[in-house]
Amino acid sequence: MKRIIQTVGAVSIATSLLLVASACSSTTTATPSTPGAKSLTIAFVMGAEADPFFKAMKVGATAETSANGDKLIWQGDPSLYSPATQIPIVDQVLAQKPDCLVLIPTDPDALQASVAKATAAKIPVVNVDTHVTDLSNVVSFITGDNTQGGAAAADQMATAIGYKAGGSYKVVAGLTSATATTNVDRLKGFEDQLAAKYPGVTVVDTAYSQSQPATANSNVSNWLTKYPDLAGIFAIDGTNATGASSALQAKGLTGKVALIGYDAYKTNVDLIAKGVFTALIAQNPAEEAKQAIDACQSFIQTGKSSIAAKVTLPNITMNKDTSAADLTKYTYVQ
Amino acid sequence: MALTESPELAPGANPRPPASPESHSTPLSERLTGFLTNQQTILLLVLIGMVVVFSILNPIFFSLDVFGNVLLDWGPVALIAVAETFVIISGGIDLSVGATLGFSGVIAAYAMQAMTAAGMGDSITILCGTLVAAATGMFVGFVNSLLINRLHLVPFIATLATLGAAGGMSIVLTGGAPVGDGPQSAIDLSVPWLGPLSWPLIVVIVVVIIAGLFLHKARFGRYTYAIGSNPFAALAAGINVKRHLTKIYVLSGLLSGLAGMFLYIRLGSGAPTSGVGDELDAIAAVVIGGVALAGGIGRMSGTVLGSLILATVTSGLIIIGVEPNWKQVVVAILIAAAVSLQALRANGKRS
Repeated sequence: MKRIIQTVGAVSIATSLLLVASACSSTTTATPSTPGAKSLTIAFVMGAEADPFFKAMKVGATAETSANGDKLIWQGDPSLYSPATQIPIVDQVLAQKPDCLVLIPTDPDALQASVAKATAAKIPVVNVDTHVTDLSNVVSFITGDNTQGGAAAADQMATAIGYKAGGSYKVVAGLTSATATTNVDRLKGFEDQLAAKYPGVTVVDTAYSQSQPATANSNVSNWLTKYPDLAGIFAIDGTNATGASSALQAKGLTGKVALIGYDAYKTNVDLIAKGVFTALIAQNPAEEAKQAIDACQSFIQTGKSSIAAKVTLPNITMNKDTSAADLTKYTYVQ
Repeated sequence: MALTESPELAPGANPRPPASPESHSTPLSERLTGFLTNQQTILLLVLIGMVVVFSILNPIFFSLDVFGNVLLDWGPVALIAVAETFVIISGGIDLSVGATLGFSGVIAAYAMQAMTAAGMGDSITILCGTLVAAATGMFVGFVNSLLINRLHLVPFIATLATLGAAGGMSIVLTGGAPVGDGPQSAIDLSVPWLGPLSWPLIVVIVVVIIAGLFLHKARFGRYTYAIGSNPFAALAAGINVKRHLTKIYVLSGLLSGLAGMFLYIRLGSGAPTSGVGDELDAIAAVVIGGVALAGGIGRMSGTVLGSLILATVTSGLIIIGVEPNWKQVVVAILIAAAVSLQALRANGKRS
């Protein structure tokens, strides 16, 4: 009897976990259509469900589609930002014959064929955040400006370390991977701006966190030992920001070493007031998603000529001078 | 070296070379030769060699500060590697340790967030958080044991399933963002106060020592070796194999949960991506330490040294300014070397 109960318990736990996992990995949001207007079905295939950046994007996409009475198909891998898992998801979504496909390609070349497939099926494609290499079949590309974000981080860094011409300053950059285009663009913007306006600042070291905050923490802890005269840290995304801020606090260097982060996770935004982060550069994912949905709608209603081929949204800089209302507004929704 | 230790095993019932966890009655000369050729001594020499090389390349490596950084990396890896040591010696494998680490950290973070919001003190909150993390880990471990004992899944598959479930749940619950708003003084606990040691590290060291005693001096350990060497003989000798395996997987979950709490204290928040892929670090540490994946063979000191070597490589490469991705290459070489050493010694014994 006891064994039966235990077996039943094990099976029910396993099944319920599987059910929860499968229910949450593929969320399809249907919204009632407003009577009269033709309701569109817009498919949105993003990078990874686990990233708060995409969560925030979903909020924007859901708001915009439900305002217009459209149906939103929201899909993406639960946690992996990878073309290997994204390509089958795109195929599956295209089989549902949406009126428009909003795609965040996880690889510029690997997803090119998926765009061609959609075009062949007469489904217009909009790219958000990242783009495929050949944009000729893409109606519009809407993105945050990573290069500008990197440059803004450099400006914040110069202010924070009290940059004076002729001085010499060491800074480090914590990255996530060598290939993520967002990382590459932000670092390029950062380094170019330093070279152009603040030549005394040198990026003396970089390292990769592989999306692990503990690794980011380890990198920064060791840099703080290696460079006793370190002036500042540029943490290029949310993971690195979490790792760098905790390392700085544990070493008792809050406020002594400037820390410029990227991405507005709530835990990091809260640390601006404590002086751990000198500044955070935030994107506006909800607005990016809204504009992508709008691009779909105007393309279907009026054709390609009315739409800008590329829309670049500016980043938001958050620091101790930012109002509490703005801090709340731009914190990524979870 | 090859002395039979487990009295529960019937002589001759063991098809593989039996475990050699202790050597009470060996003559001194034999013990000395054993000491010089055993894996632990070689690992210690490798570790010292690494410290020397890193210190020559950048003298700043030889400092309390860097040792503190190394130990901070070592703490969580050591805990899950110790967990993995028990599991692998018993002939199983636990792929869920990394995911359990992350999941426990997230659940503990929510508990501590609620307690902090309710205005409770930091010390009691952190203490309760530790208990919650440990309990969460034990729950996952218990699920593993049910899948293995009741549904008869092989450990690889059972723990692969809980790896997915625990990892997925962390992300579902948090939406991918770290869970903060916990006790303010959590991060301060990571500050070393006794040389390179902080409070969480002292806890880790005590836990590792207790686990080592359990493995080598207690009946718990003898049963573990017996089951790993030959589960049928262990059963014939009157060991309740299923009950013992349950204890081992629950212990593995408990240690993974503590590792999750360790990372919470280090980061000041519970990050759902913490621990992703860490099971491979744990297995690497255990294998480098001389534990045989086939079960029945291995020592806790090997695991401790193996995990210390991994942590030293991580910090060392950053300090000498080498691209940290080289770590994976270095670890790969160490694993290959450690396993070939085992094979060579096994051949030596047979001839």
